[in-house]
Amino acid sequence: MKPTFACEWLHSCAGCEIALVDLGEVLLELLARVEIVHFPLLMDNKYSSRAGEGDGMVLPAADLGLVSGGVASEEQRAILLAMRRSCRTLIALGTCATHGGIPALANERSQEAVRAGVFADCGPLPTQVPDCLDRVYAVDELVQPDLCVPGCPPRPETIAAAITAVLDGELPVTPAKSVCETCPARREGRATTRTARRFFDNADGNPDEELGQMRCLLEQGLMCMGPVTAGGCGGSGPPLCVRVRVPCRGCYGPVRAGGNPLLDLMNALAGQGVDRRSVVDRRSLLRFCGAHGLLRSAAGPRSPERFHGGS
Amino acid sequence: MTRVVTIEPVTRIEGHARIHIQLDAAGTVDDARVEITSLRGFEQFVIGRPAEELPRIVSRICGICPWMHHLAAARAVDGCFAVEPPPAGRLLRELCLVLAHIPDKLLHFFFLAAPDFVLGPDCDLRVRNVVGLARQEPELAAQVAHMRRLGQDMLARLGGKAVHPVAGVVGGFSRPLGRDERRQLQADAARLLDFALFALDFARERVLEQCAAADQPGQVTTGFLGTVDEHGNLRLASGRLRLMRPDGRSVDFAAADYGQHLRERSEPWSLAKTVYAESWGEGLSLDPTAPRGVYRVNTLARLNVCDRISTPRAQTELEAFRVRFGRPAQATLLHHWARLIELVYAAERVGELLADDRMLDRDVRTPSVPRAGRGVGHVEAPRGTLIHDYETDERGCITRANMIVGTTHNVAAMNLSVRDAASRLIRDGACDEAIQNRIEMALRAYDP
Amino acid sequence: MNSGLRIIAFCCNWCSYAAADLAGISRLHYPPSVRIIRVMCSGMVHPEMVLHALARGADGVMIIGCHLGECHYIRGNEIALARAEVIAETLEDLGYEPERFQLVWVSSAEPERLVEAFRQMHERLLRLNGLAEQDPAAADGEVLP
Repeated sequence: MKPTFACEWLHSCAGCEIALVDLGEVLLELLARVEIVHFPLLMDNKYSSRAGEGDGMVLPAADLGLVSGGVASEEQRAILLAMRRSCRTLIALGTCATHGGIPALANERSQEAVRAGVFADCGPLPTQVPDCLDRVYAVDELVQPDLCVPGCPPRPETIAAAITAVLDGELPVTPAKSVCETCPARREGRATTRTARRFFDNADGNPDEELGQMRCLLEQGLMCMGPVTAGGCGGSGPPLCVRVRVPCRGCYGPVRAGGNPLLDLMNALAGQGVDRRSVVDRRSLLRFCGAHGLLRSAAGPRSPERFHGGS
Repeated sequence: MTRVVTIEPVTRIEGHARIHIQLDAAGTVDDARVEITSLRGFEQFVIGRPAEELPRIVSRICGICPWMHHLAAARAVDGCFAVEPPPAGRLLRELCLVLAHIPDKLLHFFFLAAPDFVLGPDCDLRVRNVVGLARQEPELAAQVAHMRRLGQDMLARLGGKAVHPVAGVVGGFSRPLGRDERRQLQADAARLLDFALFALDFARERVLEQCAAADQPGQVTTGFLGTVDEHGNLRLASGRLRLMRPDGRSVDFAAADYGQHLRERSEPWSLAKTVYAESWGEGLSLDPTAPRGVYRVNTLARLNVCDRISTPRAQTELEAFRVRFGRPAQATLLHHWARLIELVYAAERVGELLADDRMLDRDVRTPSVPRAGRGVGHVEAPRGTLIHDYETDERGCITRANMIVGTTHNVAAMNLSVRDAASRLIRDGACDEAIQNRIEMALRAYDP
Repeated sequence: MNSGLRIIAFCCNWCSYAAADLAGISRLHYPPSVRIIRVMCSGMVHPEMVLHALARGADGVMIIGCHLGECHYIRGNEIALARAEVIAETLEDLGYEPERFQLVWVSSAEPERLVEAFRQMHERLLRLNGLAEQDPAAADGEVLP
């Protein structure tokens, strides 16, 4: 009997599913190891009974389930709850699922305001569509996943390793290192500039020289989020964005569980004498982790417990 | 007694949708529509952001075609800041855009669409998918997976990441191409072209005749929108928009003027907007007997609107296609045929671009200064014409953003196609799983 | 009088803690809501410690350091100043009232200044929390510790 496998996508872009498919032939081997019982991108299992919004959705039982995307509508919440009920081991896949991801930028205003703005010049708001929640949530704000695999998207090899580990009966442990761990750029321990530099021109350094000759992008003032971001995007090689000489923007989420990357980065800059007012739209540095109350609308309730390390 | 059939979720598509079918007392179709059930609101939450950050934010609109959003955004910000990339920057962007079409089309054709044709639309749903296909045709499946991966690896080498790239920046590209790199890419591109030609041959043998058969479900008569250069050649990266009426008459215009021709409208039952050709002066109607204002984008549209294709193998295929199906060709399932012709074009074009020595110039980016402005960036994504329209303030932060994605242009036509499919296939209220799948096939052809 | 308020005051080892010590010796009273945590330098207080305290139920947080130019570690309090701005911004982002955090400079010879700062913070927080000056339980005749 093959283990059963299910996959769902919520407030997502399909990038995590593409990362999975990008495994190439390894994907086919993986898929042959399991029996897929539900996976809307690839096969035709449908939702069976639905007794109203938010309850009654039934998904087939599965030994292993992947869910990508954050949660922003009643329908997505229903799907997530159904996945948690039906899957023995549930993996929250990708930064949207683990931290809210880019769509959680919408948390700076209410979802109602976002919908109203989108349809502003086009006619009345659609009414026969799933209700939106008050904000975008990460998966672990609503259910307890067994494993979180952040990344936007996660490396195909990381996804495969997580799936294989679970099928073999373990839960993999990811070491908490930052992006800087594998970055070869030249660090001198101090900033080159007192003001943040927006990315209007390419980074300093000769692109025909090897990457290790390039000065650290954060020290160049380019607000590279490497020090405060979970590492591993390039495997043991250089971070992917830095490889093409572009500063990291934190797509794997905070390096510390429950950390606030904006706070940590601004704190580091303060220590270096960089003028915080030179950072334009500082909250967009939280663009990947706006769930858990890190991004909130001005009118919303005060950010709750989990905005930093601890409890 | 009326009955509702809901196909939910629509599967083997690249997004979230359900099909809602209304049957009357006699069990015939009264109405059918495609309901898009998810909205993230990018147009709203990019407001206030530094414009130069947008290419990396809006790529997350779609993880299947992130390069399209990434580069359309870069182009739009170019416009806001009034900068022109140097030639090498433009070439690198076009290279990535065209290259990105390849793994996308391979995924859709082989992994999502082909099971219906190769295994049969009525085949047991537990088999009717990529796994079933791989069991029946293991070598083919392995090759497809390998070639897709090759395309993605090439994109990752060029742009840092294949999914959610970062190298497209305002003013150009983030780094120049090395000589050795180019050589390796050329070798890889040659393999992709070989496979593209093989894929078309395979499809011709096993799939396309089914698509070309008469009276397939999903019939609809519409206009078309695509992109051409000044000679009427098919273009994916930039050019003029050409809007064609169902009778073949067309008008060309600059992307910045899209608002004079196209209008967006909301529907109560969908979180996607509907777009129609306002400049035709007939409004929008989804009445299946007399549709008005409806046009399509995507592969079939691009082939219909262009006069010719500038690469030889694809042009030969286009000529044969036109002899057989006329211009414009309307049958919905022909999207699959057109998709494979475009696959060949993309592979040929990648080779052409790589051979252009200007691509090796070290100057790939023009520095920019933030300013208040407006820019419209447009590209042809696999799903259709993609438009990003931004305005900035004097700090260079976004004040307004409008984005029309490929599938949105097709919303009206997809509804009509599904309605037609449902009407043809559902008799006396019978709508079993096989019939539901055939209805979905009319939608799947659009690769939404 | 027990208002139930809790104020965490990070006091640097050199000027601030000495001032607090001197305040004790001089029998200067300050509200029992203030809980002092000694740190070596105001500059070592990571903004997260402030947020952690607030998240765990502190009504207010203070950082007390040496006057600018008098830091035992030369520049530590300058860093504290820069960090305080980051903290203030973050509190705004997270919906906390700005009155809940304050950075204060004292010298070891200024116990009155320290005590006055504590008292003012306490008053501010009482008003913020909408609490009366007197604890309502006292009006019930309960004996308070």
